[in-house]
This record gives sequence, structure tokens and C-alpha cells, in this order.
Amino acid sequence: MTGILRIALPLTVWLAGFCAIYALQGLGCSRHWPEGLDRRATLIAAAALFVLVQTLILLAVLYRPSGFRFVQATATLLAGAALAAAVWTSLPVLTLEICG
Amino acid sequence: MTARRRTALRLHRELARIWAPDPRLRGWLTTSNNNDIGRLFLAVATAFFVIGGLLAMLIRAQLATPGSAFMGPEAYDQVFTMHGTVMMFLFAIPFFEALSMLVLPGMLGTRDLAYPRLGAYGLWVYVFGGSAVIVAMLLGLAPDGGWFMYPPLTSAAFSPGIGADVWLLGITSIEVSAIATAVEVIVTVLRYRAAGMSLSRMPIFAWYILVVAVMILTAFPPMILGSLLLELERALDWPFFQVENGGDPLLWQHLFWLFGHPEVYIIFLPAAGMIATILPVMARTTLLGYGWVVAAAVSLGVLSFGLWVHHMFTTGIPHLGLAFFSAASTLVAVPTSVMIFAWIGTLRQGRVRMELPMLWIIGFFATFIIGGLTGVMIAIVPFNWQVHDTHFIVAHLHYVLIGGYVFPMIAAVYYFQPLLTGRFQVFRLGGVAFWLVVPAFHVTFLAVHLAGLLGQRRRTWTYDEGQGWEVLNLVASVSSFVMAIGFALVLLDVAINTFARARGPRNPWGAGTLEWAAPMPSPPYGFASIPIVGSRYPLLDDPRIDLKIARGEGYLADTSRSRRETLIVTTAQGAPAQVAVLPCNSVLPFLLAVVTSTAFLAPLVKAHAVSVLALVGVVAVALVWVWRLAPARMEGPVDAGHGAMLPLASETPDPPGWWGSLFLLLADGVHFGALLFGYAFLWTVAPNWPPPSFLRPDVAGPALALGGAGALALAPRLAVRAIGAGRGAGPAVGLAALAALALAGAAGSVMLERPDPAGHAHDATLWILAGHVAFHAGLVLIMLFYLALRLVAGKALRIGEARIVGLWADFTAATGLVALGAAWLPGVLA
Repeated sequence: MTGILRIALPLTVWLAGFCAIYALQGLGCSRHWPEGLDRRATLIAAAALFVLVQTLILLAVLYRPSGFRFVQATATLLAGAALAAAVWTSLPVLTLEICG
Repeated sequence: MTARRRTALRLHRELARIWAPDPRLRGWLTTSNNNDIGRLFLAVATAFFVIGGLLAMLIRAQLATPGSAFMGPEAYDQVFTMHGTVMMFLFAIPFFEALSMLVLPGMLGTRDLAYPRLGAYGLWVYVFGGSAVIVAMLLGLAPDGGWFMYPPLTSAAFSPGIGADVWLLGITSIEVSAIATAVEVIVTVLRYRAAGMSLSRMPIFAWYILVVAVMILTAFPPMILGSLLLELERALDWPFFQVENGGDPLLWQHLFWLFGHPEVYIIFLPAAGMIATILPVMARTTLLGYGWVVAAAVSLGVLSFGLWVHHMFTTGIPHLGLAFFSAASTLVAVPTSVMIFAWIGTLRQGRVRMELPMLWIIGFFATFIIGGLTGVMIAIVPFNWQVHDTHFIVAHLHYVLIGGYVFPMIAAVYYFQPLLTGRFQVFRLGGVAFWLVVPAFHVTFLAVHLAGLLGQRRRTWTYDEGQGWEVLNLVASVSSFVMAIGFALVLLDVAINTFARARGPRNPWGAGTLEWAAPMPSPPYGFASIPIVGSRYPLLDDPRIDLKIARGEGYLADTSRSRRETLIVTTAQGAPAQVAVLPCNSVLPFLLAVVTSTAFLAPLVKAHAVSVLALVGVVAVALVWVWRLAPARMEGPVDAGHGAMLPLASETPDPPGWWGSLFLLLADGVHFGALLFGYAFLWTVAPNWPPPSFLRPDVAGPALALGGAGALALAPRLAVRAIGAGRGAGPAVGLAALAALALAGAAGSVMLERPDPAGHAHDATLWILAGHVAFHAGLVLIMLFYLALRLVAGKALRIGEARIVGLWADFTAATGLVALGAAWLPGVLA
């Protein structure tokens, strides 16, 4: 199962991070958002953390390789894809109005 | 006759006896063999395809001319709702599940799927649920709110009949079947394979279907939750989607599309798996970029969960939220393209032969790529706003679903027909059918695209003259009938070839995967011995491997134990690890399906007492089921052949039931996550929040919850330790039962504190959270009751059994604490 988990982990983390950023944006536009807390700065910080986590996962896959070549190659590919996906899907926080 | 041939014949006779179904009609009700269940599944799914197709013809007949009097709006609403519902739920998913049941064990080199009885149960639940939906339609009681059933249109106020209930209860019961099959497929792919079949040697279809099965387990639960909430709102007025009482109809859209978008990929990926299997064989080569294709399938499976809001671009969600999902939607084009280019590269490196399966794959390429491109168009928000709910969307989804699913599935049927029937296809009628279907499809849906671009709305029963849609609709309707004739010819062709063609040779396509090493048609036992493989294409390495298997030169060729055995391997390397004993014929799956379906469907006719009785029946039949499955005595390791002494799976700490429970709990966990999401969504977004008051806990409730959860986590571990040390596990079982009761008591205290769940969505949500805890505590109690019965009967408990209960207990304890914490926390903070 370790091999399967290595393959599944990077994009699963992407999905969790993607949903968390979307949830944070929803919270940012709700009545519960604390006064004075900058929405964009918070979202950018969260997106940066998201990208950092995906980078760390890629590095972990590279520097703590699986003993099984196929699993290692697939996990590396998917960790790279997850990092690219995290960057691409986080880009809107830099450009668009948060609640408009 | 040579000695080797005599050995093969003897083995065949003995295995045929051991694996034989019961005779006559009883055989159909008691069989659990993948060949029988798969064929039945396939036949029923095909029947639903025909029904769905007839409904499509009714739609096109109605829209052929403006102001048509063919159908009134009430009938039209039922027809288009049922067309979508039948095609998505009753045809598409069961059809690929059926094909998978038929060919997957052969591809993996195992004798059957991991849980044959679960497969049979899934079939019968599907048959009963699907039939109920169709009968309701024939009685004029079909749902009419569209296949995605948006409230408030589908609420009791605007859909007062039982049509919406038919959808919510009937389709949810069918989803039980899909989840059962998904668990079965995952455990089979991960554990039930040929010796030596490591992850990198798995047939590519196994990877695809593994991804799809995990997707089913994670996509269906939000939908099941949504159906439960909407049914509770309709039946008991719990206001989850009523704005005036703290609900929000957008919650339904989120829950539905959390399922609905992955659903598209759940349908597409098995078809892609078939293409990746068939196309290299047709090109007389092997798949180019196997690892890349595996990675692309995994990527597509996960990315598809990040797209759900792109069905909700016009609901007023802030632009930034739309941009997230627009970005994610464009992203899926990347793994899809990787697959497409891998397939094109495979064609380039091989020498293509234009057999019928290949022809349909070319039809797929021509159609699906266009559907994919229009998909990228509607991923772009401004364009989406323009064409939302127009016939452009109808055309896009048909390009994706027919081009991306139906065409490859027809290719698969033609490709595997020799394997399933033992007869070889003759390339005649099927070719004519192809040239009717594919061009007619493109004419139909090109016209529908254009009508959508000109502004024709979907789900409107008619239209006025003079809007420029008349010719387009007439062309679409005429060509759709040509397409229907083509599909009818496909069915006729398959039927003729199934019953009338000459017997063909084994492995007629020259494929390299193991399913073609089995006799044709595949006998109930599949392989006379479990194959030993050293590469991804064992038949290309050793074209005589089929003879070696038949002569018993693989694993488990010894029939002296006279029971249905197959091999369990380690997940990554495929090394032989355990021997699984599969169950014999039984009527229990059929009976369990009867009571399950009765429990779901009886409320439709207000027979609530019958539903409760049926639920008791579910528990009783399930207990008999597991009681009979439990082996009478411990055997220790058995001879699996090749000098390997392997333990029986039921005597290991991780028996098949443990693996099945693990993946079922994945689905359960997603269901629970979706419930928390719904709670958070209402708390954050719903207009009439906060509720009049939050629940403030006293000391007793949290104390019961903490004590119960802690003891529930501890007790199964004590039981495992006691069994391992040879001591009695009775005290641990008793402690676990007390713990489950305490947790249920804590959940009950929440309900007692909030006696009116119909008052506000907050209180209704608390009841659902507490209901989750009470339900799971009840499940654990039933499992403990089973263990107690075994102890009373003087049977020794197995570590595996205790570990299975431990999994459920851990889940109940963990989610129970979170659920009750979520119920109490706002009150504490307030």
C-alpha cells in the first residue's frame, strides 16, 4: 500500500489545498470575517503556503525515493504535476477582486 | 492423449464441478460468479440503454418542429429527466462495471473478484432500484425536475407528487450497488492478481478501473448525503434548502456537483482504459508511455474533483471563486492530452489493422476531441455565462459522453466478444452500423450546438417559430433517428454474433494480456491454475502460457481441498501472500438485496413500517451471511504449489473483510466530510443565520462522548491482544458495547436538547450529525453482537475479525467526537 499512497498523495494534497483556498475565500466574503484582517494578504499567504507544501512534497519524493522504480517515477511525475497545479490554480488570488 | 493433456482435462473437470452454479432458475438467483453476474449486469444495463434511447427519440420527436403537440410540458419534463437519469445512473456506470466484472479477473490472472457475493448483491439492488424507477415512469409518476434535481423546484412545495422521491430513493439505492462494486474492484486490483504481477506489470485497464473505483467511493457520498437531506426535507420538512428557515438551495448544487463533475470522469476513464487496452492490440504493438498514461489517469481522477463549481458559474459566486474553478477546469486538458498523444504515438509506432473495434476507436477520437475542446470553451467564465443552460451545453455533454464513453464501450464489446462468447466477430453488419451512427451523431449534435449558440434553452418543451431554430432542430431530429437505427443495428449485430457465428480460435486478436490465456468462453473458475507472470504482456513473452496454466503449472492447481480458492498477492510486488477461499453459491445476496430495496422503496408508498421491518431484515440476513462465511476451524498454512505454504486469508490479521472495510470507510469518511462541509456552508453563507440559539452542552453529554469514544478506541485493541495471547475476548467485547452505547447516548442527548429539527436548518443539521454518531454506534453494536454470538457458540475469535470491528470502532469514535464537537462548539463559543 505504501507505493499506492506515494502515488496518490501529491494530488490529494493539491485537492485539499485547493478546497481550503476556496473555503478561505468564501469565509473572507462572509459575515464571519474579522474586521481589519486583510483578505487579499491572507489569501496570498495561504496560496504561498499551499505552493510551499507541494514543493516540500516534491522534494520529499525526490530525496526519499521508493525502492520500487515504477512507483518512484510515477510519484515524481505526479508531485511535479501537483506543484504546477497548485501554482496555476492559485494565480487568481493575485489578480481578481476577492468578493466582487 | 498425452499425460499433460490428461492432467489438463482432469483439472478442468474438477474445477468445473467445484465452481459450478446451481442448476436451472435457482442458479441465476444463487450464483455469485463474475461471469454470470457480469453477463446479467451487462444485459440489464443494455436494456436500460434501450429505454434511455427511446426517451431520447421522444425528446427529438417533440423538438423536431416548433409548437409541437406531440407531448405536453408535464410529459416532456418527465421524459427529459428520465432520459438523463437512466443514461447516467442506470446505463453508463453499471455498463462499465459489468464489463469490468467480466474481464478484470482474467486480466489480473485471478479466478474471480474479491467479494463475489457482494457483486451479486450489487446486481440485485441495481435491478430492483432501476426497475422501480422505470415502473414509476410507466405509471406517470416519474421525476420531472431534471436529472440534477435542483431544489426549490424539487422541494415538496413545487414537486408535490412522489416523482422526486422516486429519484431520491431509487437512485440512492442504486448508488449502494455502485459503491459495493467499487470496493470489490479496488480490493481485487490491489490484492487478487497473478503471481509476479507487480504494480508496473498490471494491465493498463486495471489502473484505470482502480482510479475510477476510488473516485466512486469519494464522489458518490456527497450525492447520497444530498439525496438524504432533500428526502428529509420533503418528508419531514427539515429545512436544509429552505432559505426562510436557515437553509440554502445552493447547498444542493454543491453536494450534487461534488458528485456530478467527477461522475463525468467516472464514466470517461473506464472507456479510456478500454481504449488503452484495445488500441495497442489493433496497432499490433504495445502501449507507448505506460507510466505517463498511469500518471495521467491518476491526475485526471483527482483533478476532476476540483471542477464542481464550473457547473455553477451563473449562481452569483464571486469572480475569484469562479476563476479558481476556471483555472482547474482548463488544467484537466493536460492529462487528457497526455493520454491522447500516448494513443496517437502508439498508433504511429504500430501497424494498424482496421477491425471493427478500431473503427469505433477512430469514432471516439473524432468525437471526443471536439467534445474536449468545447469543454475548454465552457471552462472560460464569460463564454459559459453566454451558453449556460442552452442546447450548446446539451451538445457538449453528448459529444463527451457518447463520443468519450459509448463509442469506446462498443469497441470494447466487439473486442471482448470472442472472449465472452467463444465466437469470433465477422465484420459486416457492425460496419454498417458504425457508418450510420457516427456521421449521424455529428450531424445531430453539430445542429444542436448551433441551436444553442443561437439561444435555444434546454429543458423547454417547445419553441416558437421565427427564431432561426426550425431547420437546425429538424436536421438534428432526423439524423438522431438515423443514429438510433445505427445503435439498433449494433445490438442486432452483437446478438447475431453471440448466438450464430462460428467458434473462433483462442486469442484471436493476438493480445498480450492474461484474459486471453483463459479458455473461450471463460469457464466459472477462469484459470485452471493461477498464472506466474514476468512482464506486462505475458502472452507476448510466452505464447504457450495458456497451456501451462491449463496443465496446472501455476499456483493453486491442487483441487483436493475441493473449494473455491484463489491467490492473494502483496500490493506492490505481486508476491504470493495468502490463499483466499471464495464463497459458494448462495441465495443470501438476493435476499439481502430484496430487503435492502424494500427498505429504500417502501416509503414511496408510505409503508414506513414495512421499511423499518425490512431494515431489521437487512441486519438479520447480514448476520446470517457473515456467520456462514466464517470458517469452522483454523487450518494453518496450506500448500499453494511451487513449494509455497501460504496462510488462509481468513486467518491473517488483514483478511479480505479488513481491506473491504478500509475502503468502505473511505466512502463513509467522505460522506462525513460532506456533512461537515454542508454545516460549514450554511453557517458561512446561508442568509438566515445565525439560528435563534445555539446548543449549549451540559457536562453529561461531552463526558459520555469522551468516555465512550476513548473506550471504543481501546476495547477492540484489547480484544486483539487477548486473542493473540490466547485469552478470552469477552470482557473487551463487553467494554466496546458499553462504549458504543455511551456514544449513542451522547448523540441522543443532542436530539433531546433540540426536539424540533423542522424549525431551523441548524437544528436539522444537529440531528443529522447526531444521527451519524448513533447510526455508526449501532453498526458497531451489531458487529459486537456477532462476535458475542460466536463466543457464546464456543467458537474462537480470529484476530482479523476483531481488527475489522476495530476499524469501524475507531471510525465511529473519531467521527463521533468531531460530529458532537461540531454540534456543541458554537454554543460553547457563544
